[in-house]
Amino acid sequence: MATELWLALQFPHLALDLLCRGQRPRGRAPMAVSATVARRPSIVDCNPVAARAGVRPGLPVAAAQALVADLQVHPCEPAAEAAALQRLAAFAYRYSSRVTVLAAHCTLLLEIGASRRLFGPAEALTQRLVLELQRLGYHARAGTAASPEAAQLAARHGRHLDPGRPIGPQVCELPLTSLRLDSAQGPTLENMGFRTVGEVMRLPRKALARRLGTEFVDYLDRLTGARPDPQTSWRPPERFESALDLPTGLHNVQALLFPLRRLFSELCGVLRALDRAVQEVSIHLRLAHDETSIRMGLQQPSRCEEHLQRLVREHLERLRVRAPVRRITLCAPTLLPYAARQGALWRGGEDRPVSIDSLLDRLRARLGRDGVSALAGIEDHRPERSWAAREPGTHAACTPRPYRPAWLLEHAQRCRIEDFRFICGPERIETGWWDGQDCRRDYFVVRDRAGSLLWVFREYKPRRGWYLHGLFA
Amino acid sequence: MDTSLPAAVRSIPDLWRGHQVMHDVAALPTGQPALDRRLPGHGWPMGALTELLPQVPGSGEFSLLFPALARLTAQARWVVLVDPPWVPYPPALHGNGVDLAHLLLVRTSSAAESLWACEQALHGLQGGAVLAWPDQPSFTRLRRLQLAARSTHAAVFLFRPPEAAAIASPAELRLRLVASGDGSHVTVLKCRGARPAGQIPIRRTPPAPTMLHRADAATPPTHRPPRTDDTAPGRRAAGPVH
Repeated sequence: MATELWLALQFPHLALDLLCRGQRPRGRAPMAVSATVARRPSIVDCNPVAARAGVRPGLPVAAAQALVADLQVHPCEPAAEAAALQRLAAFAYRYSSRVTVLAAHCTLLLEIGASRRLFGPAEALTQRLVLELQRLGYHARAGTAASPEAAQLAARHGRHLDPGRPIGPQVCELPLTSLRLDSAQGPTLENMGFRTVGEVMRLPRKALARRLGTEFVDYLDRLTGARPDPQTSWRPPERFESALDLPTGLHNVQALLFPLRRLFSELCGVLRALDRAVQEVSIHLRLAHDETSIRMGLQQPSRCEEHLQRLVREHLERLRVRAPVRRITLCAPTLLPYAARQGALWRGGEDRPVSIDSLLDRLRARLGRDGVSALAGIEDHRPERSWAAREPGTHAACTPRPYRPAWLLEHAQRCRIEDFRFICGPERIETGWWDGQDCRRDYFVVRDRAGSLLWVFREYKPRRGWYLHGLFA
Repeated sequence: MDTSLPAAVRSIPDLWRGHQVMHDVAALPTGQPALDRRLPGHGWPMGALTELLPQVPGSGEFSLLFPALARLTAQARWVVLVDPPWVPYPPALHGNGVDLAHLLLVRTSSAAESLWACEQALHGLQGGAVLAWPDQPSFTRLRRLQLAARSTHAAVFLFRPPEAAAIASPAELRLRLVASGDGSHVTVLKCRGARPAGQIPIRRTPPAPTMLHRADAATPPTHRPPRTDDTAPGRRAAGPVH
């Protein structure tokens, strides 16, 4: 059996990431996240632009705003962060079947020991995951170790601990502050003169438990792997919803494409991880005073990022927003099982039947549902009732009539017969007594003065007269 | 050894000469042998733009494509009709071998959207055909369609009014159609890889046999009404053409 190897992903700037990921890295305004600490709103985190101006965590909000006049301060939203962690867990589910969400520490734990054969060594997998998260707008730090607690410790320093060797000696050089200590334990140990993890580890457990509590000793045992540390596995959700805030607001519809791309990458990453696909996606845009939403339906369940983005581009082209967009929410109400399409083994699959679904989606995104249809024949002798538009891909059969005109006028037009030369006819069509659309007609093939071959009929019932009904083109 | 110029020209194998027809073009038989002989590849060029310029609508321009469309749809390739001027009559299409299950009808609301739909259809088809009735398309739009067709090996058929013959077009093949007698005549206005040619007679589907035996008797019913009890001479030609 492969040894367990845990990957810890920590998101120290999650609140800020959620605020900023709707914007491109360049041209960002100074931004900060605040929380109420000791009944005083203080800065918790800020972006580099703000940090360069002197804003730092712990500063009272009023002081920070005095430093940077155009600083945007947003209160942190624990609910949004928890939801984001759930989405990130779904995203990471692709790399491991055992994912744990530690919401209190903004951390994800992945057991990757079993994934090594698929994704290569821990370093490569970590790098890949961190890069993918960065593309979605999340900044993560990662570390791996043989126990979950040690992995979290390693993540704080971006280290990869060798799972083949004991953990203790590998972490003994790390500073004491990298251990998870509460507000009392830290100063206590420091006052005792300890500086590194190794120094604490060497202490007799009994004495340590008496001074710092048994929980701390348990923690150290879990860290070294001496004590088992079972984790609750994360369960995949049945729906997807992700929102993106745009603190500055976007007026230009085309500018929405960048944040939407991030949302769609996230959605498709989650879908790939869960082996799911979506057939219906809705995008809600929150404007200054009202809301607007786009509903996208797909012909077939898909998880192709490119396809979804192309569709949303068509939808956006038709969208007019009167006020700046403040928030975008991407929602997939149901996640369907994904059926992979068989690809051609050899290149040049020109002869294989082409699926029309993605084309239908694209055309319907812009032209509306009724803009694209297929034709069906109906068994009826009245020509105007012998055809109907139908949903593409459904089966339809009709009586072949090769001698009828190729073009039919949707509504027969009255015409003058003086202009026509008769070629052949008549063909009597008399039917419909059962549905009240009773008709009696004689059809003729005629040629008009310009040379067009036409299909005209003389109607006796219900209205008398001559009508043009088709063209032999 | 013959040292004359024509002999020297003949000795270069790669050199294409005016009276030769290129045969290595991917093409779809038109079903009309007389026309096939005049076209490079012996048929409608695939991955290319073809323009049909009927003298009047109803010169046999649509039925000329039936054999090709029947062949494409039989191979499970799609045929997309973008903004046809009238309803393609399903029994007639089916009767001429066109598989309705692979026919798609696209309706747009503007000329720009129509061309956009053509382009989208080409990118999504991979080897089918797009039939369109564009309204005064610009040269650059046509060129875009042509490039899209070339990259996806789909055929594009554009139906345009006869006046368009005077306007330059990037199309590989341009045909004028004039109705005559039982069929029509095709004039090749432009053809890449072969010389233009005129007056190719085209057979047309004969009228229905059930109607044919009465063809001689088909004198205008103004003289011999089909049913005497229904005659109403005053109402015969009532109403103007809408």
